Amino acid sequence: MDVLTGWWDDFFWGSVVVAQVFLASLVLMVIFGLIGAAAKLSGNRIAHKIANGYTIVFRGTPEILVILLLYFGSAIALTAIAQVFSPEIKFLDVPPFWAGTIAIALIVGSYATETFRGAFLGVKPGSIEAAQALGMNGFQVFFYVRVPEMWRLALPAFGNHMLSLIKDTALISIIGLNETLFVAKQAIATTGAPFIMYIMVGVIYLGFSTVITLTVMTLEYYGTRHMRSAA
Amino acid sequence: MSATHPLIRMEHVGKNFGLFKALHDFNLEVTKGERIVVCGPSGSGKSTMIRCINRLEKHDEGRIFIGDIELTEKLEDLNAVRREVGMVFQSFNLFPHMTILKNLMLAQKLVRKTPKDEAREVAMHYLNRVKIPEQADKYPIQLSGGQQQRVAIARALCMKPEVMLFDEPTSALDPEMINEVLEVMTGLAKDGMTMICVTHEMGFARSVADRVIFMDAGEIIEEATPEIFFGAPRNERTKLFLSQILTH
Amino acid sequence: MSFDVSLIFSALPKMLMGIGLTFQLLVLSGVLGLALAIVLMLMRVSGKWYLDWLAQAYIYVFRGTPILVQIFIVYYGFPQLEFIREGILWPIFRDPFGCAIVALTLNTGAYVSEILRGGVLGVDHGILEAGEALGLNRRQRFTYLTTPIAARLALPAYGNDVISLLKSTALASTITLADMTGIARSIVAQTYAPYEIFISLAIVYMIITFFIQKLMARIERWLGRYTVRTGQT
Repeated sequence: MDVLTGWWDDFFWGSVVVAQVFLASLVLMVIFGLIGAAAKLSGNRIAHKIANGYTIVFRGTPEILVILLLYFGSAIALTAIAQVFSPEIKFLDVPPFWAGTIAIALIVGSYATETFRGAFLGVKPGSIEAAQALGMNGFQVFFYVRVPEMWRLALPAFGNHMLSLIKDTALISIIGLNETLFVAKQAIATTGAPFIMYIMVGVIYLGFSTVITLTVMTLEYYGTRHMRSAA
Repeated sequence: MSATHPLIRMEHVGKNFGLFKALHDFNLEVTKGERIVVCGPSGSGKSTMIRCINRLEKHDEGRIFIGDIELTEKLEDLNAVRREVGMVFQSFNLFPHMTILKNLMLAQKLVRKTPKDEAREVAMHYLNRVKIPEQADKYPIQLSGGQQQRVAIARALCMKPEVMLFDEPTSALDPEMINEVLEVMTGLAKDGMTMICVTHEMGFARSVADRVIFMDAGEIIEEATPEIFFGAPRNERTKLFLSQILTH
Repeated sequence: MSFDVSLIFSALPKMLMGIGLTFQLLVLSGVLGLALAIVLMLMRVSGKWYLDWLAQAYIYVFRGTPILVQIFIVYYGFPQLEFIREGILWPIFRDPFGCAIVALTLNTGAYVSEILRGGVLGVDHGILEAGEALGLNRRQRFTYLTTPIAARLALPAYGNDVISLLKSTALASTITLADMTGIARSIVAQTYAPYEIFISLAIVYMIITFFIQKLMARIERWLGRYTVRTGQT
């Protein structure tokens, strides 16, 4: 255990990076998922086909491959563009943080598309009709009837998406992001104690997933309080 | 068992679900060949009572005897008791992944260890009895509700039970299919099958029952022959129930 | 910057040489993982609190940590422990293929066990009660009633997990294995052509995914043949 001394703060900052990636990719994942769901729900055939393509590509491709492609591909493109302006530039990359964040947001977003679409369709038509019959306009129906119910239906699966995001963060260490797994590799180079270091990484991630799971459970409890009887 | 020795005996039986008393001081004796109909409002404990008899629910107070065997925690061979007690459910509960024939043969093979050919013969015999032999190789989903319930009755009969329990057998059926099931049950009664039937079908009760029992809030309110029960009920609650159920 | 199509044609055969390893990883971990999943599921539904709790703890750990970390713990971490180095299983842990199989199996076992449990819990209680009423004992009900129905209920989610497992096999490239991804990465390192190589590799994975989905759909149709109401009586 004392082999860890000196590395505690490195692991701490690595965890901070994990949290940052999580929050950034969460926002993007929701955006991508909502756009995809909207595209599939609209009557537009082209939008539908593009959304389907998006889903097929990112659900059928290994995450590591997407990350590598996005990072190296964007680096090559960026370098080429930069060399047009100043030829002495050898290598310009998109920071691994953003390449990785966008990559995992795209991947989990493709699953989120189905989740949001299913949740949208799962809202009882009766509720919508009742609201309309009461005279509420489109906007009000959407925000007061549709969204709360969608949110409740999507929550369990959405929780799983959040868990996927946090775990996929470890993959970004492959392209040099200095999150916890990357820190561990450095620690091993100096201490020669791979087992402890990687277990430490595991514990940190387990901590993150526990927090997410507990949060989702609380939200689920809160969100279904209108469905539990008084007994 | 002699003709007067009761087939089923329930003495001071009680059953609680948490704080809710579903059954309270329930007493019943059923002799061989008797047909008993149990009726009452929702939540009166009729289903709970009948499910205690084959121990799908475990009673908390009192004693239950099937023949000479008492139903207790320490009962070694509960399944031996269940062989003799057939049950028909409100939602049929046919095994969806098996053909009708397999539905009828499964318990025979597994519980009575009947060889395959004999089991098939017995199955076809009862399938004929409920008048749908041609459905033998179909799956339950392909049959109508009335047909499924008749299969469910045949499935229970294939075990050659001593007594048949019916838990609201027609309540989940469309009106036009209720009669085909009641006909089968009436035929069974005429052939001397001992039966306890929880139902709202008062016409059936009038023509088939030896005794009608009215339950409310977990207790027996009134128990009489059909003539007295329908003609001159004694208890006010019985009269109220009958007036509600018979005027539509 | 140009898109060199000829590079794809020369690189693809080399990458496809890794497909054998990819499939070995997929099938071996899939089968072993399924066996592990069945054991874990039985522990969870056994009714014995100590088995249930043990299985839950295992599942919690393996679903709560990244698969990459699990792979590294097995491949880099285990050899550090003396009892592993001197144990009879050392030949497995010394070899990157063995480590990959162990890690993938332990991981997929956790996920699939929850999928199987979902299927078991989804079986209509009325059907089980009818079995009870007929005198079937617990094991008979589980074998003849629960298992066939649960298998059909679990299949869609299981299919998804098989595809996840396929994608996880790509991580074997991080511990020196020459599966398709491993070969692709070394080609990219030499040629600096990530687009051509990685995109064509992605297409290969998508094609395999497509066939797995078709296979699953066929199995689903076969298992669910009794749910189709063909022709009324």
